Amino acid sequence: MAVALPGVTLPSVVEELLSEMAAAVQENAQIPDEHLLSLKFIFGSSAIQALDLVDRQSITLISSPSGRRVYQVLGSSGRTYLCLASCHYCSCPAFAFSVLRKNDSLLCKHLLAVYLSQVTRTCRQLKVSDKQLTDILFTKKKQEA
Amino acid sequence: MLRMAEALRRALNLGSSAESEEYTTEAGPPLLLLGGPGSGKTSLLFTAALEAAGEGRGPILFLTQRPLQSLPRGRGAVLDPLRLQKIRFQYPPSTHELLQLLCSAHEARGPAPSLLLLDGLEEYLVGDWGPQEVAYLAALLLDTAAHFSHQIGPGHGCGLIVALQIQEEGDSGDALQLSLLQRYFPAQCWLQVDAQGPGQHCLRACLDPGGQGPRAEWWVAFQPDGEMTVTPWPAQTGNPSSDKGSSSEGQP
Ligand SMILES: [Zn+2]
Repeated sequence: MAVALPGVTLPSVVEELLSEMAAAVQENAQIPDEHLLSLKFIFGSSAIQALDLVDRQSITLISSPSGRRVYQVLGSSGRTYLCLASCHYCSCPAFAFSVLRKNDSLLCKHLLAVYLSQVTRTCRQLKVSDKQLTDILFTKKKQEA
Repeated sequence: MLRMAEALRRALNLGSSAESEEYTTEAGPPLLLLGGPGSGKTSLLFTAALEAAGEGRGPILFLTQRPLQSLPRGRGAVLDPLRLQKIRFQYPPSTHELLQLLCSAHEARGPAPSLLLLDGLEEYLVGDWGPQEVAYLAALLLDTAAHFSHQIGPGHGCGLIVALQIQEEGDSGDALQLSLLQRYFPAQCWLQVDAQGPGQHCLRACLDPGGQGPRAEWWVAFQPDGEMTVTPWPAQTGNPSSDKGSSSEGQP
């Protein structure tokens, strides 16, 4: 499928890179240098910042008994941001500005960090109740408003 | 064939679904139904709900700010009470309550919906909405449908169709809002009033499945008694031959 759906899927070149990285990580337990270069080429400085977030284990996958999931990323500023698991959404200001408004980047560093943490399997896991998950999804929007 | 496109196609091709077992159960991309005032969006959504209700799958969740004024008649056989029972209407009165409903959708018990419909999205976007809030609402609609799909299990997704009223000449604020929504809803169906079509009140419906298939167009005509008829657009290009089946349906 050649067409990228910006809100839902990644361009195929990024998809391929991520799956190659996942395979390499499974074999060698680390991301090969050439993949890091490609990442930097595609995402610029966001790539370094995202890798840094992964190194610091800043990504938490929150799930409830219902099976619904959401990611929370602890940003370098100490604030936490909400990233949806099903489509491209992050509650950070860079996502609002560079991705949504200016449309000049594909993802913010938090969403990229979520993808990278899936590749490296370094996501923290947090189980919450269904009600708590509702509050996480619902209050996030009020914080940013 | 994409399921969502198919659901709408069937909604548009009333009665031509004799070979319904052929339809795949893949959910397909979320669909945005766009049109000016009175362009039949609600009727089409409701028809899609009735069609989905006839599939023998989960309930249909229909979100709208107020109860429908009148039920589109469609063809008599389609307004089956058993189908109507499968459509669960919910009326979140404000954006706040719509968001709350979507954020807590995983707390609901019972079978997960097989189709999520929202009518009148524009009514929930009034006020001072920044791009992030608009995007969050769109993303939450996708996330809710994705959660329902997860509950239903592999191979059977929950579809999503959202109707949005647009102005013929939108101002720049609307343009940003629309481009944000299009980011999350790659498949779009545009409805336009067309005076040249058959019937009293005729619309031209153009379905663009988001680069995942050919465009398709139909006439949608409403008779004075409210009956809706659908015929393929004459100059249709590269569309599956199954469309021909609906032409035998004909006009009354
Ligand atoms: Zn972000």
